[in-house]
Amino acid sequence: MLYREEAPKYAKGAGQVVALQTQALRKVFTVKRKDAGLAGSFRSLLKPSWEEKVAVRSIDLTVQRGEMVAFLGPNGAGKSTTIKMLTGILHPSSGEAKVLGCTPWREREKLAFRIGAVFGQKSQLWYHLPPIDTFDLISRIYELDRADYHARRDDLIERFELGPYLHTPVRKLSLGERMRCEIAVSFLHRPQLLFLDEPTIGLDVVVKQRIRELIREVNRDEGTTVFLTSHDAGDMEELCSRAVVIHHGGILLDAPVDRLKREVLNRKIISLTLAAGYDASMLPPLPGTEVIAGEGRRLKLGVDLAVTDIEAVLGTVIGTYRLDDVTVEDPPMEEIIAHIYGTGG
Amino acid sequence: MGSRVFGDRLELLSARSKKAGAVARITMKQQMAYKTDFIMRASFMLMILYVFVQLWSAAYDGDAGRVINGFTLKQIIWYLVFTEAITMGVPALCGLIENEVKNGDIAIRLIRPLSYIGYHYAAYLSEAVFRFYIHLAVGGAIAWLCVGPPTFGLGWAGLFSLTLGALTIAFLLNMIVALCALWVEETRGMEFVLHKLQFTVGGMLLPLDLMPEPLQRVCAWLPFQAMLYFPARTAVNFGAAPLLQQFVIQAAWIAVLAAAVMLMYRRGVSKLHVNGG
Amino acid sequence: MSTEDNEQAGGLRSVSRTGRLRGTLAFLITCWKVNLASAMEYRASFFMMAGMMFINNFMWLFFWSLFFGKFQVVNGWEMGDVMMMWAVGAGGFGWANMLFGNFNRIAPIVAAGQLDVYLSQPKPVLLHVLASRMSLTAAGDFFFGLVVYAWVGNHSLAGLLQFLLGLLLSGLLFMGITILAGCLAFFIGNAEGLAQQVFNSFVALSTYPSDIFKGLARTLLFTLLPAGFISFLPIGLLRDFDPAFVWKAVAATLAFGALAVLAFRLGLKRYASGNAITLRG
Repeated sequence: MLYREEAPKYAKGAGQVVALQTQALRKVFTVKRKDAGLAGSFRSLLKPSWEEKVAVRSIDLTVQRGEMVAFLGPNGAGKSTTIKMLTGILHPSSGEAKVLGCTPWREREKLAFRIGAVFGQKSQLWYHLPPIDTFDLISRIYELDRADYHARRDDLIERFELGPYLHTPVRKLSLGERMRCEIAVSFLHRPQLLFLDEPTIGLDVVVKQRIRELIREVNRDEGTTVFLTSHDAGDMEELCSRAVVIHHGGILLDAPVDRLKREVLNRKIISLTLAAGYDASMLPPLPGTEVIAGEGRRLKLGVDLAVTDIEAVLGTVIGTYRLDDVTVEDPPMEEIIAHIYGTGG
Repeated sequence: MGSRVFGDRLELLSARSKKAGAVARITMKQQMAYKTDFIMRASFMLMILYVFVQLWSAAYDGDAGRVINGFTLKQIIWYLVFTEAITMGVPALCGLIENEVKNGDIAIRLIRPLSYIGYHYAAYLSEAVFRFYIHLAVGGAIAWLCVGPPTFGLGWAGLFSLTLGALTIAFLLNMIVALCALWVEETRGMEFVLHKLQFTVGGMLLPLDLMPEPLQRVCAWLPFQAMLYFPARTAVNFGAAPLLQQFVIQAAWIAVLAAAVMLMYRRGVSKLHVNGG
Repeated sequence: MSTEDNEQAGGLRSVSRTGRLRGTLAFLITCWKVNLASAMEYRASFFMMAGMMFINNFMWLFFWSLFFGKFQVVNGWEMGDVMMMWAVGAGGFGWANMLFGNFNRIAPIVAAGQLDVYLSQPKPVLLHVLASRMSLTAAGDFFFGLVVYAWVGNHSLAGLLQFLLGLLLSGLLFMGITILAGCLAFFIGNAEGLAQQVFNSFVALSTYPSDIFKGLARTLLFTLLPAGFISFLPIGLLRDFDPAFVWKAVAATLAFGALAVLAFRLGLKRYASGNAITLRG
């Protein structure tokens, strides 16, 4: 943990109730190690040797009701494992957690009534059936009152604009359409706390945007606490007020998103495809801009937003080269983390 | 729970059964997407039963009156229809659970407010019962044509009443093997052994009565007879053994196996390893 | 089977027929070596799968031993005959599936458009497809066949030759019928299920004494779905050598083999001209 402030400071107001709290939450997996070769296979069969893999080292975290927290980190940092412990799917190796007053792994079924979860890479919809059937099943599983269920369902269908897909088998829906259904379904039982694990993975920009809007809307109207993991910095910037960055199974940073934007996300990457080969001598000196890579027709620039802005850099580039293609993106999470180490250490 | 009044319990029970009903309904609906699969399985069963009719007719020399160990040709053929209908009714649970554990889909089940085993039992039963009736109809048609109508009277009551327990035992046996996926990577080998045991000591291809005496004594102590032999034998030979006794044996096995399943589940789920960072 | 396809591979280069044959043979041997090496990479699962298949076959013999424990002789068949039927059937199925493991996957391969890879390479297409996979369970089947022969077979030289001929015929017949069914995928959509069904039925039918069938069923067994030529081998070839039956079995094997190759080549033309119905993108 390199720099960190006390979490309650970022809660929306004083006197709010805690939605979830963890203390030294830890998960260690034991993996059977197998030696190579036939003899190795036999050895591991008779006398297996176990290897410990620390997925989550130690997490201390408090989230207030109504907060929208982004839980960020590169692949393998322990994001999903943490969410799975908080939802009662995995049992921790040690440590404590209270989610809405329940210990998730001891009171899984009781807690499940009050929380919702969307795993971006796992579908909860029935593949061969239209989404409406999954709605019905979920209403039964969460023991919803029939009249309330129908009203709630119709409201969600309207909000998420699901009308046209409701009676189409899920296998025929596009990823974006499916994802909207997934999230709508998870709102059906009015969860007080919603876990979203990579909700925008694999979606295009427009659909991502729409899904973020919808999540924001429900949070505003119903006060749903949202706990979101992502390796897309955009999810965090647009949805959340607070960001928790984890790395190697521990919390690296816990700060308001505004501050993160100012201090860490102050860089953008511009990737260019030039009409002709890249010639370094043609490019005039640009303040706050570094050439990350330039080879053939490809050029990649890192822009420090504290010094200059995207428009200025692009203006100069367009004045210098003829372009075939441009993309502007956030630096990858790995780079952000390296940056946090750099500034915080 | 102990302090709850009776009304509360009833309410809880009704909510539970509604949940199970909803799971059963949606499983059934999803089944409809595999129509060709059904036709294929049914037609394969048709062929196999035809082969059996030929085989046993040859063994009985086509003599409809001959009785071997209490079975006439007609009884043997109908016995096989019933064991095949149960065997082919049982869905492939092991592969399903192993996949859920391996690719992490188990997470989708565990975020729900219902028991994991209970969910699978509801889904399993709806699929198994549906498939049982389809195969029963198909197999029954060919047996009727070849050896005559199933005039078993009370035997039918015996069949249907013992089949629920039989399918439950099949579920628990398969679940025990499937839950091994929480400890080991491959359950196919164990599933294979399970199927082979049903196949032989369960009496799938041959009523236990036709087996050598020592083998019959071993089979009597195993749960497999309660899964195939009991319902099929009772159907064609009602009264050969007291119905009540068979119910008690089934219930005892269900209790033992269910305890094993719950124990394994509790142990296994606490060391679950779900893929993903 | 190999020589017919060779013509497609010859191309512009004029190579002598024996040269081409030698090239194809060297290619086949390389295929088998690669398959074996990759199977050995997963030895544990290889031995488990093969062992499981071995036990599976023995379970059937166990059933038959119980059956014959009750009846001794059924339409002239005894326990030993059924055992040899399993030896010839499983053994033939085993070698075919070890050396040409894709023979029961023609339909899915065609439907998925995976033939393109083979078509782009200068080797006989069918042969290349077939030899590109080795079934892991097949070794168990083949070994089972040998063990049962060693146990109850006729160990004289003539007996051995008859058994080997039986293995050859049953393996080729399995391949011919299955490939023929698989080729349906060239001509009709969604043929995978149907091809699989033909395959399953054929395999199942070849494991019951052919003499239990009478009338139309028996006729079908020696014509349209010629599993009878496999399941009668223990009687007509091994026990009471019947030249008329053996002659017919050889002819049927050759005929179905030729038909399979022909169907594949016709299908390939359709496939290459883009007329094949491919359902998956």
